[in-house]
Amino acid sequence: MNKQPSILIIGAAGGLANILCGILSKRRSECRVIGIDTRALKNDIDFENFSFERMRYTRRNFEKLFRENKFDAIYQLGRLTPPGGTIEQRLSFSLVNTNKVLELAQKNKVKKYILLSSYHVYGALADNPVFITEDFPLRASIKHSELRDVTEVDALCTNWMWKNQDSIETVVLRPCNIIGPQIDNTITKYLTSHMTPVPIDFNPILQFIHEYDMANILFETLDKVPTGVYNVAPDQTISLQEAKKIIGTKNIPFPIFTVGVVSKVFKKLWTFPGYFLDFLMYSCVIDNSKIQKYISKDIFKYDTKKTLSLLRKPLP
Amino acid sequence: MISLDFFTKKFISFEQVLEKKLSAYLEMLTSKEKEQVEKSYQALLEKYGENEDPWGLNIPKARKSIEILYAIYQHYFKVRFFGKENIKDEHYMVISNHSGQIAIDGLLIGCAFAFEVDKPRVLRPMVERFFTALPFINKWSAECGAVLGDRDNCLNLLKRKESLLIFPEGVRGVSKSTSDFYKLQDFTTGFYRMALKSGVKILPVAVVGAEEVFPYVYQAKGIAQALNLPALPISANYFPLPSPIDIHVGKPIELPTDINSESEDHLITPHIREIERTIQEMINEGREKRRPWIFSKDQKKDAN
Repeated sequence: MNKQPSILIIGAAGGLANILCGILSKRRSECRVIGIDTRALKNDIDFENFSFERMRYTRRNFEKLFRENKFDAIYQLGRLTPPGGTIEQRLSFSLVNTNKVLELAQKNKVKKYILLSSYHVYGALADNPVFITEDFPLRASIKHSELRDVTEVDALCTNWMWKNQDSIETVVLRPCNIIGPQIDNTITKYLTSHMTPVPIDFNPILQFIHEYDMANILFETLDKVPTGVYNVAPDQTISLQEAKKIIGTKNIPFPIFTVGVVSKVFKKLWTFPGYFLDFLMYSCVIDNSKIQKYISKDIFKYDTKKTLSLLRKPLP
Repeated sequence: MISLDFFTKKFISFEQVLEKKLSAYLEMLTSKEKEQVEKSYQALLEKYGENEDPWGLNIPKARKSIEILYAIYQHYFKVRFFGKENIKDEHYMVISNHSGQIAIDGLLIGCAFAFEVDKPRVLRPMVERFFTALPFINKWSAECGAVLGDRDNCLNLLKRKESLLIFPEGVRGVSKSTSDFYKLQDFTTGFYRMALKSGVKILPVAVVGAEEVFPYVYQAKGIAQALNLPALPISANYFPLPSPIDIHVGKPIELPTDINSESEDHLITPHIREIERTIQEMINEGREKRRPWIFSKDQKKDAN
């Protein structure tokens, strides 16, 4: 067995994971960095200590991987979701797989487990206070069952974290909207599309973090951030309408309370997750003071305006 | 199906018509008042910046609204503002009586603090939970500084040295029947615990004249419940009557040092009752000094 320290990245094919793999391989040259995903790797990572395996998360595969590598740390990025499937299938899949990762991590004496959750777990509700702390209840699935897998995985890891805190350091990160040229998530698609509806009757406050800043925070979490749940966001906030202005896309103003009609129209043009409309109405601004105690003071290299302007696209 | 373009054009033209109609009030401002508005606007811009804050306050966007409000404040309600010497260059929890079915008193107090005090400031009014879910109103009120009346929100704002406007009577204040006009309803205790926790002084305010703006007829509790509203007072009119309004600011109230935010209710309640008594006395004195109710030519007298 190889005695070299090793780090596993689950969901390595995503844009953010891709950047993290590069950073880890470069800065932790003494480690082997192993990425796995069901999808193909987005960009090649040209480091000798990095390897990628495209695999399905089956019990046999996973157990073999853990037995052969004795991982020191695991990053679980992105959700373990199959392409398509119903909410029930996705929920069951995410929970079973996360549970399996945690079980194998404990069995194989992994030292650190880092889960990338999301600020979506708090939900966008009209009565959200500004600066939601980590202790705030996870209310996302009250209105939208499609967010149940996100909240349940977060809750599963959090419970597990406290139960096993003596044997494994577990960190659950709840970042705000991660955006950047390599990220292909719902908010990026929404911001960069020329065909997106922008509400005229609501103007929620949003937080954005650049993909490189987020990747650097994930990197620092490995050594600097102790067991716990942490919100991740820069100090700056911006309203949705201002953000759209900076990106400069052509927008369709509409009153969001006509959402019934609008969503039917837009679902034909673009897949619009039901829960996402709430995030276009109500703010969900998270408090970042807890993680700031542990990460470098100058870790945020991109301010909000710059982060958004990097997504700017010329009008068609 | 009706096209989306149709909806978009309708709403944009509605906004434009509303803005044009309200802008007519700006013509009522004298050149001296316009200068005052500009001076206050520049001071607010310097204090809060050009961008929106995390709660949505946006001074450039709020400019039009606050200018219109100031014209209404000066020339429609002919507001007199007493006790401005009690307001220092520090942040406060401004505690006021609440009245008038539709909470127009909050707008006027906010206007007074933005235009009539030496260091202009945006008072952050605490609004009910249902308010933040209302289309258009949510956006407009947030741009002008309103925030959800949540304890965490308040404490975060106080930490940032912002001044809050709180009506501890809550909905009971605005939905009073005629027989209870100018009688303070019991204050809730939350605001005082927040003051103790943050150490911010309380500034008592009494508003006289707002009870008559929307004369009370009936409290439609059933409809309010069905619509998920905290109250639905039915008024004789929904266009505000031009009742002359006086705003009285009392002396700041220091906080006791022998209790804290976790103290039991029986230790906190006497202090709250004392604040109620102070504001009730200010209301009673204000009523004696008030101007005759509507259409009198000589209503506007200089404050102080």
